[in-house]
Amino acid sequence: MPKNLNNKVLSVKNLHVSFDTYAGEVQAVRGVTFDLHEGEVLAIVGESGCGKSVTAQTIMKLNPMPPARIPEGEVVLGEHDIVNATEKEMQKLRGKDVSMIFQDPMTCLNPTKKVGKQIVEAIVHHTHMSRAEAKEEAIKCLTQVNIPNPEERAQQYPHEFSGGMRQRAMIAMALSCNPKVLIADEPTTALDVTIQAQIMDLLAEIKEQINTAIILITHDLGVVASMADRVAVMYAGKIVETGTCEDIFYRNAHPYTQALLKSLPSVDADKKDRLVSIAGSPPDLLDPPKGCGFAARCTRCMHICREEQPPEFTVSDGHTASCWLLHEDCPSPEERGEKDV
Amino acid sequence: MANIGKIDKSRFGWVGADPEHREGLSRPSITYWRDAMKRLAKNRVALVCLIIIVLLILACALLPLFSSFSSREQHLAETNKGFFFQCQDDRYEGKNLVHIFGTDKLGRDMWTRTFEGGRVSLMIAFAAVFINLIIGMIYGGVSGYFGGVVDNIMMRIVEVVNGIPYLIVVVLLMLVLPKGIFTMVVAYATVGWTGMARLVRGQALSLKNQEFVVAAEAMGARPARIIARHLLPNALSVIIINVTLAVPSAIFTEAFLSYIGLGVPVPQPSWGMLAQEGAAVFQVYPSKLWIPAIAISITMLSFNLLGDGLRDAFDPRLRR
Amino acid sequence: MAKYILKRIGYSIVTLFVLITLTFFMMRLLPGDPFTGEKQLPEKTMEALNAKYGLDKPLVTQYIMYLGNCLHGDLGLSLNTNRPVTTIISESFAYSFDLGIRAVIMAFVLGVLLGSIAAIKRGKATDTVCMLVALIGVSVPSFIVAAVLQYYLGLQPYLASNKTVQLFAVTGWGPANSKILPVFALAFGSLAQISRLMRTSMLDVLGQDYIKTAKAKGLSQGAIIWKHAIRNAIMPVVTVLGPITASVLTGAFVVENVFAIPGLGRYFVQGIQNYDYTMISGTTIFYGAFLIIANLVVDLAYGFIDPRVKLEEG
Repeated sequence: MPKNLNNKVLSVKNLHVSFDTYAGEVQAVRGVTFDLHEGEVLAIVGESGCGKSVTAQTIMKLNPMPPARIPEGEVVLGEHDIVNATEKEMQKLRGKDVSMIFQDPMTCLNPTKKVGKQIVEAIVHHTHMSRAEAKEEAIKCLTQVNIPNPEERAQQYPHEFSGGMRQRAMIAMALSCNPKVLIADEPTTALDVTIQAQIMDLLAEIKEQINTAIILITHDLGVVASMADRVAVMYAGKIVETGTCEDIFYRNAHPYTQALLKSLPSVDADKKDRLVSIAGSPPDLLDPPKGCGFAARCTRCMHICREEQPPEFTVSDGHTASCWLLHEDCPSPEERGEKDV
Repeated sequence: MANIGKIDKSRFGWVGADPEHREGLSRPSITYWRDAMKRLAKNRVALVCLIIIVLLILACALLPLFSSFSSREQHLAETNKGFFFQCQDDRYEGKNLVHIFGTDKLGRDMWTRTFEGGRVSLMIAFAAVFINLIIGMIYGGVSGYFGGVVDNIMMRIVEVVNGIPYLIVVVLLMLVLPKGIFTMVVAYATVGWTGMARLVRGQALSLKNQEFVVAAEAMGARPARIIARHLLPNALSVIIINVTLAVPSAIFTEAFLSYIGLGVPVPQPSWGMLAQEGAAVFQVYPSKLWIPAIAISITMLSFNLLGDGLRDAFDPRLRR
Repeated sequence: MAKYILKRIGYSIVTLFVLITLTFFMMRLLPGDPFTGEKQLPEKTMEALNAKYGLDKPLVTQYIMYLGNCLHGDLGLSLNTNRPVTTIISESFAYSFDLGIRAVIMAFVLGVLLGSIAAIKRGKATDTVCMLVALIGVSVPSFIVAAVLQYYLGLQPYLASNKTVQLFAVTGWGPANSKILPVFALAFGSLAQISRLMRTSMLDVLGQDYIKTAKAKGLSQGAIIWKHAIRNAIMPVVTVLGPITASVLTGAFVVENVFAIPGLGRYFVQGIQNYDYTMISGTTIFYGAFLIIANLVVDLAYGFIDPRVKLEEG
């Protein structure tokens, strides 16, 4: 199926999300910008707590408000302004225009409702189908995600499904109303390695079959390589680098991306190459640092990094990174006095 | 591309990572207990309840000692008097004494009887809960620690004991044993320990597979030591919450039994006895029921609220 | 499933057996025998009575006889009224049952409602009010509630209106206005307990991932609560229905006394106050059996409601 990459389905501009907690305002997302086109797969990668899930849930406005707040930014889904949409309007969009699959399929299905019924519920809510028609449609959805004996399976409860099967059922439910955007929030994290591969294959298959754009959220760079069209690396509530898979894996420009890749085990690595972990942990977003969020952990940190937030620099077409090292005035490592640590 | 002016080279001087500040998310570490106590201290309702409980205990322990009247002394000339009744009994002539809470149907001083009754009620409740605690901890600890067949048999027994409606057993026991405080404690403890036993067993089961217990075992510590030194302290928070919530139920049981005529022997006062006597004359002298009723209710309320507060403080899942 | 049912029934039988045994030996432990009353009976009469009730036989024989009698539904004669205990029970339990079942239903329905509302409005004024009511409910013994309601809602308005207006009857069990106060007094404590449990359970369920899934499907808040949350949150409440039935039944001892309802609880308390031992032991066994069966029914019902039980236990 030909894909039209010019057809923008989702646009996020300078999105900020804060949570008001008893300790103060936690700035979970601090200015995230990206576009998503029809049929495209965008991977958002980052450590836990970097704001990737919050970004995703804000697109569907799933975070309870309060405590969550959107102080700034815009999210446009198709022609709908999400930031200013009422709860009623969101209820029409959720599941229909944008849907989501979650991390842990073991807890995401209601244990006391039959799987088929849970899918039918979504279909009936968004279409004018009768229950009988919706039931048939649900079985079609289950077939689409390669669940054997779908008629029988639809009559079973979630506890009768294995983990991988539940995630398939979740995907079937998410796709049941042909959404424009599918958000997969760490869809394989809670699964066995072999099952992980099956689910990723399934998502890749779906990507080929239908025009749904996918936002794939993960902390596993290995998952990204196989299917993402574009990758956004998030750190401390910001996107620090975006580009194609090749850009991120082979021409990366941000020290965080580099460190992240070094911490990734690979089969063909030399035995001498040890895995490098990134010392330290992400900054406290209750009181975010003045400069670059990664400065305290960055071995190449400079004076300016601690004082000023780096703007976005274009590395090549479609590949951007936010790091002072890319500034045109930035001198050579020798002149900066950089030492190899 | 951001359009920024020329930036001075010096600002690009290398400084490297900052080990002092790179642990961004870690806040000062505090122990579980201190953390819980801190949260409890923030819970004003629970604190007020704690203060009320302490005051009540002190009042019940001390006030009867300083009262001019004894709880059994009858002033037959001044029965069923109201609040702040000036005592006219010959024994206290010229002393200008006052029955603060009035007198009951035999002219006994309600103030003294209320606090002395509280002493009895609280004593029964504390003793009963304490015995439940001891039995429950031993039984549950053994059952949970040994597991397997031992656990299976012990828990079946608990299930059967639990299946017998406890108030009915208490009633039976109260009939058979001689009336008195001790009997009440025994009656309540005979059936009340199962809840605590189950709780401790659950805790022991979940804790015994953790590394520190395995380590102690590997070093050759005896089972009794492991139970006492490793399992129980870790189950302590759950136990404290449960004990706090068990006190009101014991107080309720005492009141209930007294009400149906199985309380402490007369003329011994207890809140349940006072309530029973008060209920009989309630429509004529409402205050005779209100006084013990309020005492019972405030005590139960305080313990319940304190228990809720403790649970919130100890259970990090409810952390807001 | 069959295994689960059999297991539950097995437990119930053992429990009932233990209860009967316990009752029998406790009654034998009582000081003196049932016929050493205030007035001394002639020796001949004593012997005849002892023979009639089998008291002259060895303890084991007596015990077996007693077990057999219990199984036949023969619980002996009330020492006070000389009528068969079974007859007294069958006459009076209808009132107790009527009162109790209304109280249980009221406690369950209102408790679930109050708890759900509190959980949905967590942290708001509604929550505080609901939980305050519940807290009073668990902290005030039922006999106090009963006495207060009887006086302030029943008697006082009646007297104040010069005995013309009677909102609630103060005694007896007949017309609707005589049932409201006792049912409420009896239900209040359990209602409070259920609403506290329901609130916790509801909060727990509302925090579950599948609620997020339902929201992501586009369901409205109402549909989420009604179709997904309530059903799952009610499960833990169903499991305490057994103990709730027990506390309502024993609470009825007191409430029936306050409102002069001729139920079994009233006879039981009277039996206690008159040292009518056969009445006490008979009623105890009856109550015990009733509650054990009620527990069994609740357990089995739970097995049917929660689809997860079948797999784990069966």
